[in-house]
Amino acid sequence: MVTAIVDKGRSVVNGFFQYAGSLAILFSEIFFWLFAAPFSWQRFFSQSKRVGPGSFFIASLIALFVGMIIALQMAYMMLRLSAEIYIPNVIAVSLTRELAPVLTALIVAGRIGAGITAEIGTMVVTEQVDALKAFAMNPVRYLVVPRFLSLTVMLPVLTVFAVIVGIFGGFLICYFKLGITQYMYWQMVRDSLVVKDIVTGLTKTVFFGMIIALVGCHEGLNVQGGADGVGKSTTLAVVRSFIMIIMFDCLFTFVFYFLFNA
Amino acid sequence: MIEIKNLYKTFNRLQVLNDLSLTIKDGETKVIIGRSGAGKSVLLKSIVGILKPDAGSIKINGVEVTGLGDKEYDNIRRDIGLVFQGGALFDSLNVAENVGFVLNEFTKLSSSVKRERVAHTLSLVGLKGIEEMMPSQLSGGMRKRVSLARVLCMEPKILLYDEPTSEVDPITADAINRLIVEMHDKLKVTSIVVTHDMNAAYKIADTIAMFYHGQVIADGTPDEIRNSRHPVVRQFVRGESTGPVTEDESLKFGHVK
Repeated sequence: MVTAIVDKGRSVVNGFFQYAGSLAILFSEIFFWLFAAPFSWQRFFSQSKRVGPGSFFIASLIALFVGMIIALQMAYMMLRLSAEIYIPNVIAVSLTRELAPVLTALIVAGRIGAGITAEIGTMVVTEQVDALKAFAMNPVRYLVVPRFLSLTVMLPVLTVFAVIVGIFGGFLICYFKLGITQYMYWQMVRDSLVVKDIVTGLTKTVFFGMIIALVGCHEGLNVQGGADGVGKSTTLAVVRSFIMIIMFDCLFTFVFYFLFNA
Repeated sequence: MIEIKNLYKTFNRLQVLNDLSLTIKDGETKVIIGRSGAGKSVLLKSIVGILKPDAGSIKINGVEVTGLGDKEYDNIRRDIGLVFQGGALFDSLNVAENVGFVLNEFTKLSSSVKRERVAHTLSLVGLKGIEEMMPSQLSGGMRKRVSLARVLCMEPKILLYDEPTSEVDPITADAINRLIVEMHDKLKVTSIVVTHDMNAAYKIADTIAMFYHGQVIADGTPDEIRNSRHPVVRQFVRGESTGPVTEDESLKFGHVK
């Protein structure tokens, strides 16, 4: 029994380090191709269009509802303490530092990360990736680098919009339901936010973008089998991206809190 | 010239290439026949460097390629065109972008020159005026011909065809076969054609090699292969279900011991 548990534990740990190792290798290849060959702006813009404008509506919609939900949940507690005036502060800080970056990353991981895996995975099973190699075109250079860069750049942009829309969602509740004036709401939001809130929130999203691209491309390039393999890899990409986003969020929160007192 | 000596390749303990040796002379069209899983496609992918052999030697025009790094191999690859079995056209690019892929990525030719070359190559394969179509709008035969146009556009010295006439109607298959012969006669390229279609093999081949259990068991002119006394070759070229090759072998991929 104990041996079985130890063996299982060992295989899980080995699997984790193997996976981390192959992600690190892919990351080093991306880094190499970023500088080793002429960069294709056309592919970058095409991917950025897909990530940014393509995800803007859904990310904003969810941020709007999250802003409204925070306002309502806070009202439940703050009204008891007669502290409803601080609700705008809570909305602004929680959205900027935590909720907008993480939720936007999760939305993009589900929408774009899964799409990347399915697209690259299909290219693998239909020999399109082999065709790239046969034409002396490195698949990491052609497929992964533009996706990696576009996610790294566009996720912070999407997050900024999500923060703005989320705060506006909170405003709708505060203004129409809780009787906080328009001037008061925006004044409280402005007073509560400092530069380091914005920096910590946006720094995380840069790394979340990298994680989504790395995991999505890695799973896509390693698809085995046919349509079944593509489906499994797509699911795996979403699950692994979600776990890694939350893990790294926790790590970043620790680092910012203890090292930078932010 | 392509010289392959004592090549081995294993997938998950299945021996696909087993001490395989084969020579393809300059300007020759070598047809490779054999059952599914005999290692034909694996050989093509090994020549172009998509797969790395476990052991053995592949020399292309005197250069040993098995130990080359990616950058050195890329210089060799630019002279080799591989027509994939399913076409392997890039789904996100239209026909013109597919055909002009190498020109767009690796040359600084002007747009008008590229456009002309793409149109010319498409006309070579009998597909004028389809530049704006997407791969999903093409029939199986058209996909194969666009795939051929894509490799012709890079003006390769060596052409590798992986089952160019599979899954197409007999008329399209004949058109593709004639195209392969034309390429050989006009451009004097060295070609390796993997096929199961014996009629096509007799039509296009200078020589035919038969693979069985990852080895070459016969190599000769079409007449020599047609009249071979080797029991496996005879059974295969006549398409007989009874003989030394048993039906259940097809269920396994690779070398069956």
